[in-house]
Amino acid sequence: MTAHDSRSVLPPDYDLQREYRELEGRDGQTYLQFATQMTTFYKQTYGEHSRFFLALRAGRLIGATCPRCKQVAVPAFTWHCPGCDFAEMQEIELPHKGVLAHTAPITIFPSSTFIGDAPFARGYVDVAVDAPIASFLPSRLRTTTGLVRPGIFVQGLELKLVFEDETVGCARDIFWVPMSEVPLHLRDQQPLRASELDFASPVPPAVTVAPPHVAAFGEALAALRGLAADVALSRRARTDLAGQTSRMGVRTGGGDFTLVVAEGQLQVTDGVAAEVDAIVVAEDPSVFTRWVHDGSLTDAAVEGSLWLPHKEAFQLLPILDRLPRSTRRDLRSS
Amino acid sequence: MRRVGIVGAGITDCRSRWVEATYWDLFQQATRRACQDAQITTAEIDSVIYGIYNDIFEHQAIPESSLTGIIGMANKPGTRVTTGGATGFYAMRMAAMEVASGMSDVVLCIGGEKATDCYDPRSKTATPMVVDTIAKSWDPFYEYPLGATASDSYMQICLAYNDAYPNDIGDPLVRARIIEMLCHAGNRNPHAQRRLETVTAEQVMSSRWIIAPFLRLLETCMYTEGAGALIFACEERATEISRRTGVPPVWVRGIGAANESYQAGRGGSYKRLHRIDSDRIAAERAYAVAGVTAGDIGIIELHDAFVAQLMVTMGELGFVPIGQTRRLIDDGIMVDPKELADDARPEAGRLLVNPSGGLIFGGHFVGGSNMFSTWSCRREMLARQIPLGLIHGTGAINACYGGAIVLELGA
Repeated sequence: MTAHDSRSVLPPDYDLQREYRELEGRDGQTYLQFATQMTTFYKQTYGEHSRFFLALRAGRLIGATCPRCKQVAVPAFTWHCPGCDFAEMQEIELPHKGVLAHTAPITIFPSSTFIGDAPFARGYVDVAVDAPIASFLPSRLRTTTGLVRPGIFVQGLELKLVFEDETVGCARDIFWVPMSEVPLHLRDQQPLRASELDFASPVPPAVTVAPPHVAAFGEALAALRGLAADVALSRRARTDLAGQTSRMGVRTGGGDFTLVVAEGQLQVTDGVAAEVDAIVVAEDPSVFTRWVHDGSLTDAAVEGSLWLPHKEAFQLLPILDRLPRSTRRDLRSS
Repeated sequence: MRRVGIVGAGITDCRSRWVEATYWDLFQQATRRACQDAQITTAEIDSVIYGIYNDIFEHQAIPESSLTGIIGMANKPGTRVTTGGATGFYAMRMAAMEVASGMSDVVLCIGGEKATDCYDPRSKTATPMVVDTIAKSWDPFYEYPLGATASDSYMQICLAYNDAYPNDIGDPLVRARIIEMLCHAGNRNPHAQRRLETVTAEQVMSSRWIIAPFLRLLETCMYTEGAGALIFACEERATEISRRTGVPPVWVRGIGAANESYQAGRGGSYKRLHRIDSDRIAAERAYAVAGVTAGDIGIIELHDAFVAQLMVTMGELGFVPIGQTRRLIDDGIMVDPKELADDARPEAGRLLVNPSGGLIFGGHFVGGSNMFSTWSCRREMLARQIPLGLIHGTGAINACYGGAIVLELGA
């Protein structure tokens, strides 16, 4: 059976215009640069790994176990034990739960292939926990509680294996979620499919209205409106926002507002608008004051002081982070 | 096995990009400078070892083939080494073996990289494509499809270490203080890529995240374009060249190497994620061959891909206890080069770490980064009359490859 994907191997925007461009060197001389590529396409066999990926297609997780030393290789990356004179290993069915071997890193700045996917967590899952010797499964880690952030995927966390609804036979057919986020009646289900969990509507954290936050809210709103006015006067800032359209509702412990990005402009309106692309939450509104004064919304999201429901909401933050610097450069230079 | 000395060294300027030169010219520049340093001609060189990490960066398969005539090595044996971040170390190991075995009397060991001609059409910058090219070092079945990068891989090691030893590398201020010292070191290196920069601990701790919660932009190494060359010679030739130049040889007193399993896991031969065993084993082997201990070493040029990894590696190499690597700062073990005269040795119990500025401030042209380290270590040993130095290299997924070379200042 062949599983087809409607996408091509290279995305359409993964290309360059042919050009031969003149550049000035440090020595003041003129040099030439040409646009080119080094692409190799593959129809690559999985070879001995096929059994593992065919099992994933079928909603199963398998490993290879050595009859002599009892080690378990997961994934089944070899079928001959390197520690036992290459003794033939046997297929073993593995449970759909595991333990995070070590606290997982969260990638904020991805490689070119994964631009748009960040932030994401990748870690090593100990699946064959009863085996005396076992490899760890390199794994995607996802949460149903919004944007992935430090403190969720920590060493020893119990995890549940989840299969994508469509499995084609690749490492991205599966991912793991914290077992505590899986409803009780689904915890023993094998396979559990992604659509059986709710990733689309995570529950935002509750905010507590407190007097210090109310005072900070006024300061934040004034700073944001000042920034919005500066953006209107800044060529660089308008260029930063070119092509971007977003309505982001913001709930804080001091009050709510909406950040609107459209036609190269930034607007701040009172309250959370009826229709927004995402609602973000910051208990302390000072997050936004700090941003205006050369802080970073990206860092706030990464560190957890700004809660985001999903990575799509994250994509705008690096662009917003440029605005204070862009406005300062333009307005100072003018 | 014959005694092996290093009698010449030369590096290019380290730049984020050389529009003025391809890797052909960079390798020639480094060769020319190394030959000038040793006062030899290329005719006196018997063979060459190349360190070039990645065909994709150079945009040519067998990239060293283009270099043969340009660097004066026509009709001589030439071997290319490629072992990830440890390419430079393994090239030097090969060059030393070439001499020690008697196959050659004088060997050119040269490495470099031209990384930032790469370009990402979507972000319209080089870096994501450079990161992606390096990420191709991960297998296409299990790891690369998950978004693996060098940064997340090394940070997995550091986070796992932090799980096991929670009160050590996790303090951002300690890491930032180390960065400040590396910055001071880079300011002293005439070829350093960031020699004109001033970076404070506060700037480090507020720089943007690359990998949460352990790696900020100013805690990571650079991508550098450049090349570095060394001249290795047998004792007879080293002594003769030394008489010619008036500069004593720096002897290769011990080399150790170890590569851990690619697969991570528990027990058996699986890679332990909370340690860098390859560094530890390599150093133990190098010390054993040299008949020294870490306490005898006065200077180290260490492969600091990331500052948290620098701390773990310093523990693995035996300079501070594992779990207490923050003592580099807390106990003042790491010398701030700003506080040491250019011809002074560190006092007993203290250590010069990466006086080149390391890979974070000095330069990181991957295939030759460890030659860059050796260039600096030799320079400092000669200037400060430090008897013993250590070169360290690391590379590949999850810091699986490790290497160490003990250098001894000749009389």
